[in-house]
Order: sequence, then C-alpha cells, then structure tokens
Amino acid sequence: MPEDGLSVSQDKNTVTLEMKDVAVVDQPKWPALDSIATPARMNFKMVWRSNGEPLKYEDADKHFRFTGTRATCQLEAEVKVPSTGFWWKSDPLETSKCDFAIVGDEVNGRYYDSSAHKGIS
Amino acid sequence: METLANSCSACSRRTLLKAGALAAIPLILPSTLHAFQLQQPMTANGGDEPFPIPWLDKNGSHNQPAGSNLEPSHIYHFSGRIARSSTFTGMGTDGKGNRIAFGSPTTDYGVMLGEYWAARSAQHGTFAHI
Repeated sequence: MPEDGLSVSQDKNTVTLEMKDVAVVDQPKWPALDSIATPARMNFKMVWRSNGEPLKYEDADKHFRFTGTRATCQLEAEVKVPSTGFWWKSDPLETSKCDFAIVGDEVNGRYYDSSAHKGIS
Repeated sequence: METLANSCSACSRRTLLKAGALAAIPLILPSTLHAFQLQQPMTANGGDEPFPIPWLDKNGSHNQPAGSNLEPSHIYHFSGRIARSSTFTGMGTDGKGNRIAFGSPTTDYGVMLGEYWAARSAQHGTFAHI
C-alpha cells in the first residue's frame, strides 16, 4: 500500500489507516465456493488508539515477539459497486467498536533470532 | 610402446574432433556475444515480496485472526510497527435506506510498517490487511 495511507502519531500510540477509492470485490455469499465476486471501490478510515495496558506475546518456537499495548480500534467505510448500483456507507467512526485490538512492535524470523542472540527482550 | 602407439592413434582422432568443434566457435561467438550484450544482468535471489509466515499457510490465506498470544504479523522476517484488530461490529446504510450491520468474529484488520527480509537484503514497506 502507499505509505501516505498510514500515519503513526509521534508517541506511536495512534495508528490511522485511511485509503480512498481502493479496488476491492463485493462478494455477498463469501465464503461459499461459488460466491460471485463483483468489482467494487471502497473508502475507509481505521484508527487504532493504545489504551496503555502493556502486552507481550512471545513464542520462541515460532520465532516471534510482540511488545506493545492493548488498544481500541474504530472503523468507518463506504463501498460502491458500480455494475449493480449498490452502495453502502457505515455510520460515523465513533459508533463502531471491536473487542480485540493491539498496537506495538514485532520482530519475527531472522530479526527475532538476531535479537535473541544479542539478548534483546 | 604398442599400447602408446594405439593410444596415440585414438587420441589423435579425438583431438581432431575436439579441434573441429573448437574451430566452429569463432563462427558462433560473434552472435553469442551479441546476445550476452543484450541480456540484462540477472540474479537468483528471488523477488522482493515479503515471505508468508510458514505455519499460517494451512488454509492458503497466510493470516489468522488477531488474538491473544497469536502471531500478529502476516509476513515473516519482519521487524517494525504493527496494529491488529478483530471482532468488529458496526452499522451502516445502503442506497435504499436499509440498515445493514457489518462485522463478525473473523472481521479482522492489520497494518505492518517496517523492515522485512527478501531477495537476500533488507526491504522496507507498509502492508495492510483489510
């Protein structure tokens, strides 16, 4: 994705993903195997905000470490399907919610292995 | 001595064949050289696209919903900022005024911003899963 679609606040606690006119598919019967996919366009804005509660996930067998915080995340979006004339627009950002969100830093694969060798945690 | 003489005879036939083959090279060489000059330098280091996480390939989608103690990233050999979320709920309205909800336990999103390793060197990129 273009980097200007993502902004991270200076304190790294707020992450905003906003994109306009993204090519997507409208697939109402997904995940049915015979689900027809129709070209569509989408605008959306998603905001993660850290709530400050620290969090660390690490699995040495799977070579990853996440260090960050829990967060809230809200979304507003608009979808148009030109070929059918269908469109849908969500209510404003503040009205949506999600039960699970996190923000932080991760290392995995070779970066996990190299940080482990240096004793970084 | 006899063996040597016989060997020499065989050897000279081979030498002649080799010499004949070598003699053809000057005829081939100019066009081959031209082809080399046109060919772009190539590497065998693979593309610079990120690697999927090996154990997330079971259903072919290279990711899993965000959740406690689960690997948040979708790409392997990654170091950077990441944000994930799942289990969205919200409402919206379609063009006919119908109120339609969105979101489910598998409605998950993510962004990854940072360095990853591909094509035998460090790459930088921003990736979103919507």
